[in-house]
Amino acid sequence: MRRLPLTVSQLSARLRNVVEETFDEIWVQGEISGGRTWNSGHFYFTLKDANAQIKGVVFRSTLRLLKFKPTDGLCVTVRGRISVYEPKGEYQLVCEHLEPQGLGELQLAFEQLKKKLAAEGLFAETRKRPLPALPRRIGIVTSIDGAALRDIVRVLRRRYPNAHLVISPTRVQGEGASGEIARALRLVARIDHVDVVIVGRGGGSLEDLWAFNEEIVARAIAACPIPVISAVGHETDVTIADFAADLRAPTPSAAAEMVVRQKDEFTAHIRRLVQQLRAAMLNRVRRFDSRLHALQARPGFAGYPGRMAWRSRHVGELTSDLKHAARGAIAARRRRLETARRTLDQFDPRHRLARVRATLVGQDVRLRGAATRRLHRVQGRFRELAAHLDGLSPLAVLGRGYAVCWDGERTRIVRDAESVAPGDPIRVTLERGEIRARVTDS
Amino acid sequence: MDPTIKDFEAAIAELETIVKKLEEGDLPLETSLELYERGVTLSRYCHGQLEAAERRIDVLNERGDAKPASPALGLDRDDDA
Repeated sequence: MRRLPLTVSQLSARLRNVVEETFDEIWVQGEISGGRTWNSGHFYFTLKDANAQIKGVVFRSTLRLLKFKPTDGLCVTVRGRISVYEPKGEYQLVCEHLEPQGLGELQLAFEQLKKKLAAEGLFAETRKRPLPALPRRIGIVTSIDGAALRDIVRVLRRRYPNAHLVISPTRVQGEGASGEIARALRLVARIDHVDVVIVGRGGGSLEDLWAFNEEIVARAIAACPIPVISAVGHETDVTIADFAADLRAPTPSAAAEMVVRQKDEFTAHIRRLVQQLRAAMLNRVRRFDSRLHALQARPGFAGYPGRMAWRSRHVGELTSDLKHAARGAIAARRRRLETARRTLDQFDPRHRLARVRATLVGQDVRLRGAATRRLHRVQGRFRELAAHLDGLSPLAVLGRGYAVCWDGERTRIVRDAESVAPGDPIRVTLERGEIRARVTDS
Repeated sequence: MDPTIKDFEAAIAELETIVKKLEEGDLPLETSLELYERGVTLSRYCHGQLEAAERRIDVLNERGDAKPASPALGLDRDDDA
């Protein structure tokens, strides 16, 4: 047999033909190792099992279609073909499709993204913002004709009828939905007075909900300048969007409840505070009131104007000052009380109005006597004065039959018979009335 | 709007403080009355805010402008029973 040597090129060409025709479409499984994405965007790796290995590549166009990212250590099933590279005498597995073993492709993608974003701190508790106490406007990012929107609007209307809603419509499933959701979120966050956003959709398959597991949505939520409530699918559906949101609602209806629950809580809280405020104020007034009553009840104090005649000029002036001061302060108090009462009446006309008004009218009378700091200051002086006057009060003595004897000008009490002479005029004060007389002997 | 009230949350916080002061402190009556009047003002403000929102549904268009929702969407019907 004659030797007819082949050139290397010829041999390689033949090998190539044989190999590429034989292994045109094959399924292989193995573990990825030494994986690396080159500048070209292609992913080069080695697929191996316990005893053998083969070089492989995933071209950029294929890589882009994968939900998950091929990484070292991952066991995959590959559909592809064998390609021979003649210049180097090498062959490699060109992957048309990759799927992870064990976990489904979507689950794997979910886990990978969750891990990546968590490592970045995107889900950190410290990033979670509290919901506004009272949203001025509520943003809703979802499909305009979806069940989720109808659920949210129904709950909000029932529990917060005057809410102002701003809907930012978006597709929520299918190719490109994630980009639309992110954009819709950015748009609604720009609207004035939108203080919180609900982003979500109704229930569906894992594939239906997939847009909410994509990185672009998670990043848009994290970057949103106002708090975001995620509400995707049913209670059991957990998405990447849920981790990125400030608050996860199990369903769209629940998200609506979370927003308005704040309003209900605050309404009750304010009602409680107002009741406490009234009770505390009435309590203060009552305490002042009882102090004043105690003071007024002292003997010698009640009806003092009639007895001023008995007191020295000094006492009369002092009393007049006090009365004047008290009257001015009382008038001021009264004006303020009127204002307060009007305010209170307007404030909540339905809330036990009749009772409150009756109480206030009663308090008005008491406040007239009590509600003034100036009066409070003069009360001290009154108290001293009253105590003093108690001791001086001659009425009790006169009542027992004693009389007071004055000189004729009624400027001096006659204490000594030697101080008057026969013929001197005198005056005698009795329990009732006064006698003018003349001394006949002394 | 009362310029001495910053916002809803601030009003609530101040109202809480006032109630506490009135309940605990042995204040002069004048001060008590001032606090009370302030408390009434604050609570009126809070109630006002709770009811302030305008019943309305807007939908953003392509450019992100808010337009009233079309009645054809049937979003705001009161057939809730």
